[in-house]
Amino acid sequence: MRILVVEDDEVAAEYVKKGLSEAGHVVDLAADGDTALEMANAAEYDALILDRMLPKKDGLEVLTDLREAGDATPVLILSALGETDHKVEGLRAGGDDYLAKPYSFMELLARVEAIGRRSDPTAAVTKLKVGDLEMDLLARTVHRGGQKVLLQPREFRLLECLMRNAGRVVTRTMLLEKVWDYHFDPQTNVIDVHISRLRGKIDKEFETALLHTVRGAGYRLQP
Amino acid sequence: MTTTKHNNVQPLGDLAETLGRLLKNTVFRLSLVGALLFGGSLLVAQLIVYDRLVSSEERRVEDSLRAELAELETLFARGGANAVQNAQRNGIGADDNADNTAILQAYFDQGARETLARVVTLRDVSPDVYSMFVFKGAAVGKLVTDEIEDQGINAPELAKFDSRDLLREDAIALVESSDGDEAEERRIIAIGHAISENNKKVGVIFVGRDVENIRRTGERMRSAMTFSSLIALFLGILSSIFVARRFALRVDILNKLATDVQAGHLDRRAPRNYSEDEMDRLAEHLNGMLDHIDRLMQAMRYAGDSVAHDLRTPLTRLRTRLETAAVEAGENAEADVLYAAAADADELLGTFDSVLRIARLEAGERRELLKPLDPKPILDDLAELYEPACEDAGLTFTYDIAPGLTIMADRGLLSQAVSNLVENAIKYAGGGGGTRIHLSAQKGQRGRIRVFVADDGPGIPVFDRERVRERFVRLDKSRTLPGSGLGLAMVDAIADLHQAELVLDDGLGSEAILAGQDDHDGRPGLKVELVFPRAKNVRTEGHSSEP
Repeated sequence: MRILVVEDDEVAAEYVKKGLSEAGHVVDLAADGDTALEMANAAEYDALILDRMLPKKDGLEVLTDLREAGDATPVLILSALGETDHKVEGLRAGGDDYLAKPYSFMELLARVEAIGRRSDPTAAVTKLKVGDLEMDLLARTVHRGGQKVLLQPREFRLLECLMRNAGRVVTRTMLLEKVWDYHFDPQTNVIDVHISRLRGKIDKEFETALLHTVRGAGYRLQP
Repeated sequence: MTTTKHNNVQPLGDLAETLGRLLKNTVFRLSLVGALLFGGSLLVAQLIVYDRLVSSEERRVEDSLRAELAELETLFARGGANAVQNAQRNGIGADDNADNTAILQAYFDQGARETLARVVTLRDVSPDVYSMFVFKGAAVGKLVTDEIEDQGINAPELAKFDSRDLLREDAIALVESSDGDEAEERRIIAIGHAISENNKKVGVIFVGRDVENIRRTGERMRSAMTFSSLIALFLGILSSIFVARRFALRVDILNKLATDVQAGHLDRRAPRNYSEDEMDRLAEHLNGMLDHIDRLMQAMRYAGDSVAHDLRTPLTRLRTRLETAAVEAGENAEADVLYAAAADADELLGTFDSVLRIARLEAGERRELLKPLDPKPILDDLAELYEPACEDAGLTFTYDIAPGLTIMADRGLLSQAVSNLVENAIKYAGGGGGTRIHLSAQKGQRGRIRVFVADDGPGIPVFDRERVRERFVRLDKSRTLPGSGLGLAMVDAIADLHQAELVLDDGLGSEAILAGQDDHDGRPGLKVELVFPRAKNVRTEGHSSEP
């Protein structure tokens, strides 16, 4: 993916750039709002990482201007303002996802890849498939290797989230937000427990494991 | 409808309520006391004037009457009944005492015209002096009585010549006015004395004086005094009400301001009229205080935000470096250390985040977000989230959430609070030999909603239950467990924001202990309860009480 990172903190920007480059993405940097707008207009990006607090032009203004100009590039908003209402503000202005500082790089990577992928025109799928694992979103059934897997509603949504992001890391925080709609981090390993139950249903009786734990980051569903 | 009935009752109730409110109003009471004091001193001043003008004048009249009476008595004693005859014979001027002339003449001149046996003298000496000289003539006593009675004096009693020495009567005299026909009733004071001859009471001497003018002046003064006092009282009450209302209005504005500020609207200020009076100065000082608080809050927030920016940013970098290094290190012992260091940085950042969040919750910034909602789906979700984790920790998780409850809450904050409570229960009950956690939401007394998490762990001693709500407070027993001591502080802040009460009590263990089945080794457990106030006039989300 080609990603534009708009961040005034040079060190942080360099780290993000280095990390994203290592993950195989092409990264451009912009240090303020005006430059960011110029660059976004000049080139096609697959995703934008936008800091909320910027010199010259506030991140939200940049986003509003972009959307008004008809630019639909997926935008991940970064901010030190972690409260839920700020998040709502950001999403309302046209952001695709919101990440509060401090964040781990893995979280950032996972989220950018998730929104970059969301822009694919395959949003209206009714069936998901990862290896021999199949999910029918209409019938709400899951089969692996032709064998029916019975899931609780929440387990179904958990698996759906993982399958939609197949091949990519999904962090625990992302799962909490997307599957449970919680915006705080529990201290205990609640997500791990749910994952291990899911794992028991989709992986246990099969030779190859699909659901992998990515150390220090989260989980990845991969054949 | 009941409203019509209500309307009829309303004015009276309103009046009573207004009166009650007025009487409770300090300013009203003070200014009413002032008005009463003023009215009182006005009355005293008027009474003094009355006494000097009217009462003393009457006293003077009485004194002079007494003097006249004494003179007549002396005259009578000197000459007895003959004195009259002598006087008649000798004519006026028998006594050369000029002062007595008028009176004597009055008696004898007038008396001489009548039958001596029943002389009654009654005539003007000067326009306002009446004198009588009464003889007891056994045969004509009745006539004397009648004549005296005509003067409005209590004649029958006088006629009996009882033992009273000095007689004092308020009487009414009929006086022919100067232009002739019309008889005018005028009030007189008359004093008299029984006179004796040879130890036998033989008659009464009366002297009277017209006091009509004095009495009228007195009456006019009394009515003027009553009227002016009533007006003063009325104006006093009126001005008290006015002052009190005016003052109460301004106090109410300040009260409203304080309530608003308490509710988190730190931008509100008291209106000023720049009259520099004490209320205006109070408003000025309040505003100054609020400005100061606002500056402090902003400084705190600024400090928080700049710490967020200045401290969290390098921390995040540190974390990212550790993470990157860990990924680069691959699968070895070095990576384990790096991952552990990254986790430590996470914990640090998390603590920092919590402190900021609590500070913001306490500032009440998010109170507007509260809306009526049914806690059941939220709590069901949480139960579902934590049930497996509890089971893994070897705890039985049960829940019992009543349907159809309504509370004023924010979904995110409520979830966070209950999640903190459940996690505390898992950590402390699970780590302390407990086996059960129970989540419940029930209707409490007076429409309040009780949401609680109870466990059968070691519990918290009663004397520590206040302390554990504070930030960073960790009981000695729990120091070995991970955590920052912010969980319950955050719940407390969230409860405050919801105007809910946070109650700590004995948990599930206490029932078993009370039931005599102590299989808990004396562990009472802990019950942490959030008591939400009744959500007023709201049934479900989106339906407000307004029409």
